Amino acid sequence: MESFAFATIKELKTLLANKEVTPEEVLSASLARFKEQDPQIGAALEVFEKQSIIEASEHSGALYGIPGLIKDNISQQNRGLTCASKILADFNSPYDATAVARLKQAGAYLVGRANMDEFAMGSSGETSAYFPTKNPWNTACVPGGSSSGSAAAVAAGFVPWALGSDTGGSVRQPAAFCGILGLKPTYGLVSRYGLVAYGSSLDQIGIFARTAYDTALVLSTIAGNDPHDSSSLPEKPKEYIRALDGKLPEGLRIGVVDNALHAEGMDPEVVQAIEQAIAQYEKMGAKITRIQLPTLDYTAAAYFIISRAEAASNLARFDGVRYGMRTPDAQTLREMYFKTRHDGFGAEVKARIMVGNYVLSAGHADAFYSNAKKVQRLIRREFIEAFADLDMLIMPTHPAPAFTFGAYKDDKLKMDLQDYFTCAMNLSGNPALSIPCGMSSTKMPIGMQLVGPHLSEERLLQAAHAFEQVTDWHTMKPGI
Amino acid sequence: MTKITKEEILKIANMSHLDIKEEEIAPMMKQLEGVLTYAERVSQIAAETEEAVVKNTNVFREDVALHSDAERILERAPEREESFYVVPAIIEDK
Repeated sequence: MESFAFATIKELKTLLANKEVTPEEVLSASLARFKEQDPQIGAALEVFEKQSIIEASEHSGALYGIPGLIKDNISQQNRGLTCASKILADFNSPYDATAVARLKQAGAYLVGRANMDEFAMGSSGETSAYFPTKNPWNTACVPGGSSSGSAAAVAAGFVPWALGSDTGGSVRQPAAFCGILGLKPTYGLVSRYGLVAYGSSLDQIGIFARTAYDTALVLSTIAGNDPHDSSSLPEKPKEYIRALDGKLPEGLRIGVVDNALHAEGMDPEVVQAIEQAIAQYEKMGAKITRIQLPTLDYTAAAYFIISRAEAASNLARFDGVRYGMRTPDAQTLREMYFKTRHDGFGAEVKARIMVGNYVLSAGHADAFYSNAKKVQRLIRREFIEAFADLDMLIMPTHPAPAFTFGAYKDDKLKMDLQDYFTCAMNLSGNPALSIPCGMSSTKMPIGMQLVGPHLSEERLLQAAHAFEQVTDWHTMKPGI
Repeated sequence: MTKITKEEILKIANMSHLDIKEEEIAPMMKQLEGVLTYAERVSQIAAETEEAVVKNTNVFREDVALHSDAERILERAPEREESFYVVPAIIEDK
C-alpha cells in the first residue's frame, strides 16, 4: 500500500482528481500511519473507525477524501469531547462545531481527536490528563502546546492538516516547534461555535498544514460569518488560494519588530534564522523597515491576567450537574461541586481558575483586570499605527526551539513566557501565521510569525507562499 | 512585595468551588505571589495611560428557540429523572 505520508492536500487532490487513488485508500493509509507510529508520538486521543469517518462526511467538495485531525476541544457530533481532561472523560458532543460542520460539508475526513494541554492550558502538551504528545523531530522534546497533538500529527505526516485553537499562541508555537505552518486567523473570522471556551475574547480556531496553499484551502472552508457565534464577523466565505501566485504583493512593506527579535533571552540561532528570512524577503522585493512595539513588553502580563479571569468564568460550568464527571457519594450539593472539581481538574487548570478568581475578586479587579484591559487597548492601537505605513510585520514565534520534557517543572512562570511573542495578537485580534524558517544545530525546527492588519489572511498566505517558492524549510521532514 | 495569606487562598478556593488540600496551599501561595509581579507590571504602564477600557457592542438576534431536542442534552447528565437534573441535598442537616 502506498503510504502518502507527507503528501500535501494539493498533491492528494490531484491524485484523487486523476483517479490514481480512491478517497478510501488515502484514508486507510492515514489510519495505518496512526496505528503504526502514533504509539511513539501520542498525537491522537482517539482515532475513529474507518466506516464511521466516511459516513460522517459528504461525498464531494473541496476537501473530499482529505484526512485531518481535530483538537479535542472542538465538537464533533456523537464523538468524545474531553479537552484532555478527566472531568469530561466520558462526554460526547451532542452537536458539530460550525468549523467541523463546514469541513464535513466539504467532504473532509475527520479521523480523530487530537491530544492537547488540558482545556488548552499549557505550552508543551504536558498538562494532558491522558498522556503527553512527543515532538516527531525528537521524542525527548515537547511538541509545544496547547494544540500539541494537532501539530505533531501533521509534522509526523499522519495527516496533511489539523485544527487547533489559539488563545495565546496555542497554534503558532507548536507549529513552530514542529516545523509546519500554523495560522491564527483574525478574531471573529472563524466561528467559535462548538469550541470549548477558555478565554472567549481571545480564543480562535486555527489551522495546521505543511504549505500556505493547504492552509488557504482549509481556511476557505471554515471561515465566514456564523449566526451561532455573536462575535463572528460579517465576512463572506472567500477563496484564499486565489492570491497565491508565487510572488510577493507589489511593493510589500514589511516591518521587523526589533524589540521582539532582539529581546533578552532570544536564542542566537533563532535570531540568525529570522534575519536570513528577512534578507530573503528583501531579495524578493519587499521594503524592510525596523520598528519598535513598546507595549509588547507588557502584553504577556496583560494576557496572563485576562485569560485567567475569563477561564475562571468559563470553567465555572463544570460542576457535575448537567454533564461530565461527578464524584460519587457526596452528601450535599456543595460537597458534590467541590469534590467533582477537585477530582476532575488537573493542577494547571485549578491554578488558572484560582488565579482568575483572585484577579477578579473584590479589591483586586481594578489593579489587575482593568489595567490589563488598558494594556490591551494600547497594543491594539500600536498595531493600528504600525499598519498605517506597513503591510506586514515579522516577529519571532518562540525564543528558542522546542524544549525537553519537564524543563519548566520548577518554574511555571517561565513556561508562561512561551506566550511572549504570540499573545499580543490574541489581545489585539490581528491575524498571525507562523511559518518554518530555519533549523537549529540540534536539528530542531525554527519558526517566525507574519502578522497583518485585521482580515489580511490573504496577504499573509501570499507572502508565505512566495517564501516557499525560494526556500525549502517547509519541505523538511522528521526522520520517524 | 505584597504577601498572599493562607486565609486568602482558602477564600479564593471557596469562591472557585474547589476543595483544597493542606499540601496544595503553599504551592498556590507561591503561584499567586508570582501573579502579583504581573500586576505590578501592567499597573506601571496603565498609570501612564488615560486610554479608556475597550467598549463592547451588543449583537442582537430575534428571540426564537433554535433547538427543541432537550433529550439530547438531558441524556448527558450524571443523574436525571425525566426532565430534571438530580443533585444531592441542597439544604444541609443540622
